[in-house]
Order: sequence, then C-alpha cells, then structure tokens
Amino acid sequence: MRILVSLLALALAAPAAAQTIAVIHADAWTMDADTPVRDATIVIENGRITSVAAGGGVPNGATVIDARGKPVTPGLVNGATQIGLVEIAGSPDTSDTGSADERNPGNDVSRALNGNSTLVGLARADGITRALIFPSPSRQAPFSGEPALARLRDGVDILDKPNVGVYAVIGGGAWDRLGSRGVQWAALRKALDEGKRGLAPPLPADKKKDRKGGAPAGGPPGGRPGEELIRGVLQGHVPLAIQTNRESDIRQAAALASDFGIRVIVVGGAEAWRAADVLAATKIDVILDPVANLPFSFDQLGARQDNAAILTKAGVRVAVGQAGGAIHATYNAGMGLREGAGLAVANGLPYIDALRAVTVNPLAIWGRGGGTLAPGADADLVVWDGDPLEPSTIALHVIVEGREAESRSRQDRLAERYRDAR
Amino acid sequence: MSMKRIGLLAAIGAILCTAGPAGAQRQASWPWQQDPFPSRYHAPPADDMLLRGATILDGAGGRIDGGDILLRGGKIVAMGKNLANPGVREVDARGRWITPGVIDVHTHNGTFVLPLTAIDREASDVSEVSTPNAADTWIETAVNAQDMAFDRALANGVTTTQILPGSTPIFAGRSVVVKPVRGATVWDMKVTGGVQGFKMACGENPKSWGADDDNEGPTSRQGVISYMRQEFLDAQRYKRAVEQARAGAGTMPPRDLKLEAVAGILAGDVRVNLHCYRAGDIAAVLAVAKEFGFRIGAIHHATEAYKIPGLLREAGTCAAVWADWWGFKVEAQDAIRAEAPLLERAGVCVMMHSDSANDGQRLNIAAAKAAAAGRRIGIDTPAETMIKWTTSNPAKLLGLEKRIGTLAPGFEADIVLWSGDPFSIYSRADLVLIGGAIAWDRSKPRAEPISDFELGRGGIGQ
Repeated sequence: MRILVSLLALALAAPAAAQTIAVIHADAWTMDADTPVRDATIVIENGRITSVAAGGGVPNGATVIDARGKPVTPGLVNGATQIGLVEIAGSPDTSDTGSADERNPGNDVSRALNGNSTLVGLARADGITRALIFPSPSRQAPFSGEPALARLRDGVDILDKPNVGVYAVIGGGAWDRLGSRGVQWAALRKALDEGKRGLAPPLPADKKKDRKGGAPAGGPPGGRPGEELIRGVLQGHVPLAIQTNRESDIRQAAALASDFGIRVIVVGGAEAWRAADVLAATKIDVILDPVANLPFSFDQLGARQDNAAILTKAGVRVAVGQAGGAIHATYNAGMGLREGAGLAVANGLPYIDALRAVTVNPLAIWGRGGGTLAPGADADLVVWDGDPLEPSTIALHVIVEGREAESRSRQDRLAERYRDAR
Repeated sequence: MSMKRIGLLAAIGAILCTAGPAGAQRQASWPWQQDPFPSRYHAPPADDMLLRGATILDGAGGRIDGGDILLRGGKIVAMGKNLANPGVREVDARGRWITPGVIDVHTHNGTFVLPLTAIDREASDVSEVSTPNAADTWIETAVNAQDMAFDRALANGVTTTQILPGSTPIFAGRSVVVKPVRGATVWDMKVTGGVQGFKMACGENPKSWGADDDNEGPTSRQGVISYMRQEFLDAQRYKRAVEQARAGAGTMPPRDLKLEAVAGILAGDVRVNLHCYRAGDIAAVLAVAKEFGFRIGAIHHATEAYKIPGLLREAGTCAAVWADWWGFKVEAQDAIRAEAPLLERAGVCVMMHSDSANDGQRLNIAAAKAAAAGRRIGIDTPAETMIKWTTSNPAKLLGLEKRIGTLAPGFEADIVLWSGDPFSIYSRADLVLIGGAIAWDRSKPRAEPISDFELGRGGIGQ
C-alpha cells in the first residue's frame, strides 16, 4: 500500500503540476489546539494545507492516504543539528561543518548543504521535515558562522532559509586563542559594539526576506571580524545564538541580551534550568537535548533530564536540538530528536509541550514561523503508525511541501537486501 | 595526594598481592586462571517480597500477563499466577512490567569518566596504548568507582555491566564485570563466578593508531590480523611449555603476563570480546579463532554481521550491537538499525550493548528502535524476544546465564519493576533489585545513590 501510494505520488509529481492529497481518518495534532482533531481529513493542495476537518470530504482526484486513526503531526523540526554538512565525521574531506579561514569571518552553511547525504535521508525517514543546521567553531572566536534552516524535500536542494542567525560558542576551554570565558564574553561584546558603531541605516524588512541563492543577509564577506555578521542581529532581523551550558554563562547571555536589546537563543543550556527565571524575564529561548544527564565538561555539571520541564513551566520557550552531543547525534537527527522529546515527557514535560518543542517552537525561535496543521500552512506533515515520540513508532508517510517524499532510507535498502541472509 | 595516603594504598596493594596468588595456588589452577584482584562485593540483606499482577517478561522468551513473582533470600522462589504469600511484603505491580535486570556487556564506565578533563586527553585510562599488545592489563585497576555513570545506569534498570578496555590495542586486556552499586573501589562492585572476559580489536582503530608516526603497531587490516596470529602462535608455545612443566616434562617458563593472558584464551578460560565492524574483518577473526581452536564470545559493534549471520551462528559467536551508531567512520557506513532483528531471525545470539554511559541507560529503547526498523521490512519481533537482547543473551556472554538474565526459580533476584512497557520511552524503573535487595527505589528520591563526585556540586543527585 505504501509503495503504491509512493508510486502514485511520483506519477502525479509532474513539474509544476498541482497535486492534491487527502489524509483521511487522521488523529490530527494541529498544534493550534492542545488535543488532536479525531477522524480528521487533511486536504493538501498546491503545497499547502487547505482544510483540516473531522470527517471532512475528499476532493475529486485526490490521492488518498488512510491514516487508520493513527497520529498525524506537522513534520518534525530539529532545532540544532549538522545533517547536510557531514557524511563521515571521522573523515574531514566529507565534513563541511567548520571554517578554517583566518582572515574572513563567517561560515554560511547554506552553501554547503547536501540533500543527497545519507544522514538527511534517514532523518526524513524518521519524520523530520526541517532542521536548523549550525556551523562548528571558526577561527573568528567566539563565532561559528551563520546557521541555515533546511527543508528535507527530495533531492539535493534542501535549503529552506539561509542566514537565520549568528552562531557563537562560549564556555570553558572553548577557545584556546582567547582563554578565559571572561575574554570570550568581552570579544562577543566588542563585536556587538563595533557593529553598532558601523551600523548603516536599517534595510527595509521586505528586502531581507527569503533570499534563496542571493547575497547573504549580513552583507558581503570581508571587513572587520564580526561586523557584517552582527549587523542583522543588531537590527533585530536575526537572533544571536550562543551555544553555552554553565549557569554563569547563561546569566551572562541574558545580561548581553538586555544590554544590547537583541534577541538571544541559548543552545545546549545544560544548566539553563538554574536560570529559568531570568531566561523567562528576558525572553531568551533555549534549544536543548533532553537526553543529557551526564556532563561532558565541567560546564554541564547540572545536566538533568527535567531541564525542558522546568524551563517550560517557568515560561521559557524550549525546542529540542542536538548541539554538542555524542558522536552519533548528527546521525540520528530524526530518531534522536523524537527520543529526546519523549524522554522530556517521561521527566515531566506535558506531551503537547514536547510536540511543540519539535514543531512550532524551533520554527518560531529561528524566525520562520509555521509548523502547524492549519488551513494555509505549508504542507509538511507526517503520518505515523503510533505515538511519534516513541522510538518504536514508524513514519509511514512523510509529506514535504505538499508532496510525498522518499521515506525509505539507505539503511532500509541494506536491510531489505540482506533480509534473508542466512 | 598526601604521602600518608600513598603509603596506605601501597600497603593495601601488598596485602592483595600476597593473598591472591596464595589462594589461587591452593586450587592448583593454571596461571591464566588466577585473579590477583579479588572481589570484596557482598550482596546486602535481601528484601523479601511478592510482586503481584505484573506483565512479566522472563528474559528467556517467556511472558506471563498478570503474573506474580516471589523473591526470598536473594533468589527467585516462584513465578506464576495467584501465588500464595508466605508472609512477605507484597507489592501491587498491576499495570506494571517486570523483567530481569538489564545487562550491558560493553561499557567504559569508571575509565571514560565524565566530565572529561585535560588529563583524559593526555593520558586516558580507557586503554593502555603504549603497545598493540596490552594483554597483561586488567581494566579494573583503572576503574574510578565514583563515576556517576554507575548511578545513572542503576536508576535505569541496569544491574550488571562489563567494563572493557578500549579498542586501540589489538590485545587490549582483561575486562571486569560489576554491579552498579556504590562502593569505594571497583572491588566492592566486582562480580565473580562468570567467565573472565578479554578485549581485542580489529579494523580502523588499531591500524590508524599504528599508522601514527609516534606509535608502535601494524598500519593495515592485514597487519592487524597477522599480528594476532603471531601472538596466538607465541601463546600456544608458552601454554604448551607450562602444561609440560606441570606434567614434569621440562622446566617452567618464566612468567609472562601477556602470554599468560593469551594462553588463557586458547585454554577457553578467558573469553574474547572482539571489536570488529566489517563483514570481512569479522570473517577474518572467526577464521583466526578456528585456526587456534578457541571460540570468540562476541563480536562487538559487528555492524556488518547481518551480512554473514551464518558464520557467527556456526562459530557459536554472539553479536553485541547498537541500534543507532552508524556512519561516523568509514567501516561503519553499512551499519543498520535493523541489525538485531535480522540476526535474531537468522538464529544468531544477539544482544544490545552501549559503549556509552548515555546510551547504556536505555538499552531497551535501543532494542525498541531495532525492532521497529525490522518492522519496516516486515520482520515482527515480540517483546518477549526483544528482552533477550538485554538480559539472557548478554548473561550468556559473561558466563553468568545460570545465575542472572532470566527470571526463573533458583535465579538471583536481579529484577526491574518498570512503570510500564520497558520498550516505551515513557517507562521508568520504579524498583531495581540486585540479589533480592532494593538497590533503587524511584519513590524514595532522597535515597538516590550519588557518587562522591556529585556530592555538593548542586547537580541532579542533590
């Protein structure tokens, strides 16, 4: 059945042809409400959702997917990962995560994205349709570069939106060339100060939107380190993401946001729960990995699995991501995300908040919005055979931009090839 | 450390060194059977109890819905429906699940101790890397019992773990099996009575280490395999000389700690855990084992074992596998999440392993992922089979299969009462018993065991 629907989807996916899909008998988690719409019919036309209604009708000629009463969610979103930049972590020539450029700041990861990567295929097969791709530390301490949002449609082009922020790293031993985290914070503040002094009149907002293949929003490369990267942050177009874990640094991040009047995201945030009050007060979002309960460094001594629950209760917006994790985290950008969200629920996060942390929240945090099942929304959605936060659940259909995408991974193909090996 | 404390430790060491061999000699054991580092583990007094009305997965393939289990004197006494209570504490386990305690056969707990610091990067205790042949090392002499990984494992239902040396040396040394309980030293945690484990490695790890200019050792796969064969040849000669000297023919060769350990492998007294990824690497080491007449206990990681299940099955060698470590190096490109169900279907003894203090907390979830990947290609694995991958199969590898890993009368009461289905991400270990004594009780967070390291640092264990 699944293969048949896939073939139909392929047959109907002629260039520029409108495709209509109706998902019927869905337990539809719209994200607009706290509970699902039971027995929903979700109609998708021209890449958008046009209706979500209990027992709704099916348009003529629509490709029908019967969800059989199982959950349907918006496509899941990983709030911080490096899929599309990495193939074999142990082989630098297959990895595009970091800049080694001494002279020019920045690393626009959108130019390195590879939708043909096996890591992307597996993440999509696990129900991920979008992901924030972050760069690794550069030679321009404390900056890494400019992260991008990826959309896991079929094919090589998975760029959704480039330059969605500026990414920095602060922590114990994070920067040999700077040393103390005091100096790291000073360098970050200096870059903001310099950016402020050289700031041109703000660009009209409409010229900043949806660049795809054009010049980086931060301006052409060159100039003093940090200056052009920082401009968008100071103008309020993009957030400053700071990957940091220790409570003292998280409070520094909050102070920095207040002092410069900029939007800050904390990524990692192992000890963010200890600063929940100040994070809520300064409206700083946190992208964390709920799996973490062991400290890789002294910065993470307070790592605990109810971090997401404590922060959410305090009013902090939380998304799940996998920055700075184990060797294999990037390799499981889909399954690891779902496992993390599930574990957050096991540790006290309300279920609906966990779903938000892997759908609407990361998209809102990275300035994109969306991630709902609502009329007018982009048709990125997944039909599951069970609870999406259970690792034992399978994504049966993954629909990206209104089209059924490939949901068989290379792993599935290998498993099928050797299925009967004795 | 003060001179006074060094002196104290040296004194303890001296006592151990004299007590060990003397005890061993009384049994007239072979040198490779001797254990110079005896256990001081004592099971605490048992908490006798009758758990009622649970879904019981016995670890050996059986399942009882609405089952009772009676524990007395540290052992399982009875299991079934509507058991009579001989007057012990009764626990209402309706809606909950009971399984044997989880057994993780591949950890570096106590040696890869988080948080890592500069000393770990300069001189890690994970493996001795001055030589490709560290067969003389005993990893227990490095284990830091204050590693909080033991506490996390216990709170997540792990009751036994094997600590292995790392995979840089080809002959990496002896393993140790421990209970994740609080003790001042690893010997307060050490499990005895199983088969002594040993770690070996093939493929990228040893060869890339050898290829570094500063290091000794082979630089290629063929070099690694030939290094193994030469060492087994030398050990064969050594073992023969020892046996002949014992029989009164010839003189006893001088003790050689490396040859002694490898001779133990040849004698079947020391069981090899072999780190290997590619199908060709696995086939090569199985051929070496056949050539020298011993059985490899398990291929660890074994990411391509699913391509050659027959070779493992025929050799009686198990596979210790992951669900979701793949791709991070060239030899792991073809790793698949569905490996465990494929091997199970092909009749290979398979088990989940962690290699990570993080993942070791969720081996049943790893099993759930693996089973789901099997379902994607039409292979259904029931819960009572999946649980074997984390209980009775790993017990076999450790030579403890008659004592732990299965729930049946006479077995040690290493059991977990889960809040729900052990393969659900939402389930928690409510109660963990080791030898019939409560080692973890989730309803009593104040009793949560924490390491000395965590004490007073304001983290999770406070």
